[in-house]
Amino acid sequence: MTSSQFVQLTEKETLIGRSVKRKEDNEKLVGKAVFGADVKFKNMLYAGIYRSPYAHAIIRKVDLSKALKMDGIIAGLKGSDMTALGYLKPLSPFPFQSRDPFRRGNPRIKFFDHYCLATDKVRYVGEPVAAIAGTDRYLVEDALEAIEAEFEPLEPVLDSEEALKKDSPLLYNDWGDNRALYFHVSGGDVDAAMKKADIIVKEKIYSGRFTGTPIEPRSVVADYDAPSNLLSVWDSTQIPHNIARLIQQTIDLPGMKARVFQSRVGGGFGQKWGFYPEEIIVPLLSIVSRRPVKWVETRSEHMVGTAHAREQVHEVEAGVMKDGRIVGIRDHIVANAGAAYPVGGLASIVTSAFFVPGAYKIQDYEADITAAATNKTPYGAHRGFGKAEPAYVIERLVDIIADRLSMDPSEIRFRNFIPPSEFPYVSATGPRYDSGNYPEALRQAMSLADYWGFRQKQKELREQGRYVGIGMALVVEPSSSTRMGSYNAGYYSVRIRMDPDARVFIFLSGGEEGQGHITTSSQIAGEILQVPFDDIHVVEGDTLACPVGSGSYSSRFSVVGTSGVFGAAGILRDKILAIAAALMKCSVEELDLASGKVFRKARPDDSLTMQQIAQAAYYEVFRLPEGMEPGLEMLYHYRDPNIQFQSDERGRVAMFSSFPYDAEIAITEVDINTGFVKIVKFVSVHDCGNMLNPMIVEGQHTGALAHGIGGALYEELAYDANGQPLNTTFKDYLLPTSMEVPEFVLSHLITPNPFTPGGYKGAGETGTIGPPPAISNSVEDALKPLGIKLRKTPLSPVYIKSLIMEKLGGKNV
Amino acid sequence: MSKINITVEINGQKKSAEVEGRMLLVHFIRESAGLTGTHVGCDSTNCGACAVLLDGRAVKSCTVLAAQANGRKVVTVESLSDGGKLHPIQSAFLERHGLQCGYCTPGMLMSAYWLLSRNPSPTEEEIRKGIAGNLCRCTGYQGIVDSVKLAAERMKEAK
Repeated sequence: MTSSQFVQLTEKETLIGRSVKRKEDNEKLVGKAVFGADVKFKNMLYAGIYRSPYAHAIIRKVDLSKALKMDGIIAGLKGSDMTALGYLKPLSPFPFQSRDPFRRGNPRIKFFDHYCLATDKVRYVGEPVAAIAGTDRYLVEDALEAIEAEFEPLEPVLDSEEALKKDSPLLYNDWGDNRALYFHVSGGDVDAAMKKADIIVKEKIYSGRFTGTPIEPRSVVADYDAPSNLLSVWDSTQIPHNIARLIQQTIDLPGMKARVFQSRVGGGFGQKWGFYPEEIIVPLLSIVSRRPVKWVETRSEHMVGTAHAREQVHEVEAGVMKDGRIVGIRDHIVANAGAAYPVGGLASIVTSAFFVPGAYKIQDYEADITAAATNKTPYGAHRGFGKAEPAYVIERLVDIIADRLSMDPSEIRFRNFIPPSEFPYVSATGPRYDSGNYPEALRQAMSLADYWGFRQKQKELREQGRYVGIGMALVVEPSSSTRMGSYNAGYYSVRIRMDPDARVFIFLSGGEEGQGHITTSSQIAGEILQVPFDDIHVVEGDTLACPVGSGSYSSRFSVVGTSGVFGAAGILRDKILAIAAALMKCSVEELDLASGKVFRKARPDDSLTMQQIAQAAYYEVFRLPEGMEPGLEMLYHYRDPNIQFQSDERGRVAMFSSFPYDAEIAITEVDINTGFVKIVKFVSVHDCGNMLNPMIVEGQHTGALAHGIGGALYEELAYDANGQPLNTTFKDYLLPTSMEVPEFVLSHLITPNPFTPGGYKGAGETGTIGPPPAISNSVEDALKPLGIKLRKTPLSPVYIKSLIMEKLGGKNV
Repeated sequence: MSKINITVEINGQKKSAEVEGRMLLVHFIRESAGLTGTHVGCDSTNCGACAVLLDGRAVKSCTVLAAQANGRKVVTVESLSDGGKLHPIQSAFLERHGLQCGYCTPGMLMSAYWLLSRNPSPTEEEIRKGIAGNLCRCTGYQGIVDSVKLAAERMKEAK
């Protein structure tokens, strides 16, 4: 694939790069959009799941007989059915669908045959134990209460470091320990770097358990049609093709085909990227009952049954020269993987080890990461997928180094940034950073925040007894990931059709969860094909109608998805011009295309409408050039050029292809009576390359920043000593509301991505990553007069107040 | 479970049904009346995705019993637009990028409607307070606040 295959845009073309209003909004504004919970069929049953009330226990008895006799109850399933059904297999680990390379490789992964319902033991509160289907959701809830289950509680393992101790109780007895995964990555010579360093800075840094909580909970509707052996599934997933294949692998009925429709999805944020037990349970209930079955997650189920993320401890050390240069980093990471269920978290955990060096030119780097299995909800994907954790560590570490050397935190950053001249830059661990200008982004952010002016003002405010601080972070978000062993393999496929009326249909291999792909795809195709924006219709999320692909996640649509649309529209345009040249008896070079017509450049009056050309393509094939296929329907596969599957001489691979980044500065004030942190000002200078639709980019980025503020200040999934989750509703798991999220000061810097036709990088996740370190750095600065050091997120009032009380002897000031 | 007969006027049309006493209003709206524009995002009256107007006041319909709505008037998102024409609040959300995934949107629209019906010229602070009972994970609220501001201007002009 070379860029010359893509249409070169000229100045007069304006759809691309404009803040076009979104096509997808209308149906959502009038209440017509069909989300998973809105799918309804005649004769449909409702499913409910009986979940483990214990964190760790042996299942002694699960008796559904009373429940099955109740009014309206049609079917039930329990753990002992898993093997009895004969055709059912354990859940395939996702995304590591082929197990063998990982048993002894790097990463080294331990597997366990998890079924969709627990068979002998439960390993977290919320693990599905049994399922019931009935004619009415209320009756199903009654039946769940009539299930007779007995458990023998075992000692739970909750802390990841405790889990790795020799005498820890085991989640999986045959493993011999609780190490679900081990991965080691190295680049350069860290020992030599540490030896030459003037000082070694060591720190232990903890990221709290925090998750995405889309406002739409998950849902699955399944309808098995026995005569055609076709299982149709409506799923609030981000990965319909992967789920279709995973269902076929798990429900091994001979010849059964699974078709997955991604309904409208009310936010994904990575949590709908996994492969969940319900995606098998509900189809099974449909197969058993021969009726359509719907399951809709409740919020309290979501908080225990849908992936958690972020919980990691890093013991990191940096070798630093007196002038502030960081010469080497070594990190020892332990992730709390929860019950290590196959929802995708292990891939996220591996990712963390790659990116601790962040925005800095540090080639001597090594890290090892261990995923500890514990009795918590499984770790999974979450906006910032495994990259938020190392970004937090490096951006905190830089501030800690600045403090040790009595330098300004900005100075350490400017001294260590990857210079703009060195892009594309191959990092110590292999990924090739496409482009960037980190010093300029930070300079702009400092200017917008009036950084040095604030430093002056801070002195005065401190004299008045105010605790105000300023903190920064420059975070890089490796995006558009790729992984072998599933459909996530570095490509994006798009089918495009122009019909005889010159209406255009685009079939995307991935669906969307609110990012606006219908609009942005239409912008690209409208521009390239010169047809009206409103004449374009985008189809997505149906695994039979759409080309195969891996879905929407990892901020990949703006990178590989748009590239696929550029390519598909480009080959369709080529064909239109070739047909026009034949019809007009001239060469393609003599022709151009604008406003729904193809015309001779020399004589614009000599033209054909797009409809005339399209009708020839379908109805008058004898007029087409010799050997040309009829019709105007093409399939295009875009292959990501910035992905490197084959190891280089140092054994490195490159699985992420674009590297958006954000320079953020937070000004905060801490109320030392309550421990409450107020964000006074928040500046962000964001670079995602060229912007296809700036309105959408800003919307994505603003939402991401708010999401990051949640993780920085409010959101933590807490457990008691028995492994009972303490916050399973939005009453106690606190998402930021309109009152907590400030109005951001936003600016864009543009360094185009040289590896994509549009120059785009990923755009939806970077903002989630920056606030935890930027706000932590700011709050630590605010509390500097008290000498307080922060070592974890979130900075809840309770945590901050406890640190203040340690320093001030436990009394309110 | 004993059942009761109720009649609720939803978007100007009377809907009668025999329901269980425990049935939630949101399920009556979604299941009995088939109006799925009203969404459920939590079980605890926090997210506001299920907000509707009950006798003109915004309520979270996941925490109102259907029986409590007996003989009363409910207005849902489906009735905001007039035929094919969007209500000024809806068109402002479209213009100011007040929605992304759209799941919280019906509740946001109803809360905004209730706010503007009481206070036609809200300040930014009043708008933020007015939607503080509605959670959105996509937008960071800025687009929503800007949308409500624009809607207020348009609605005043129209008067």
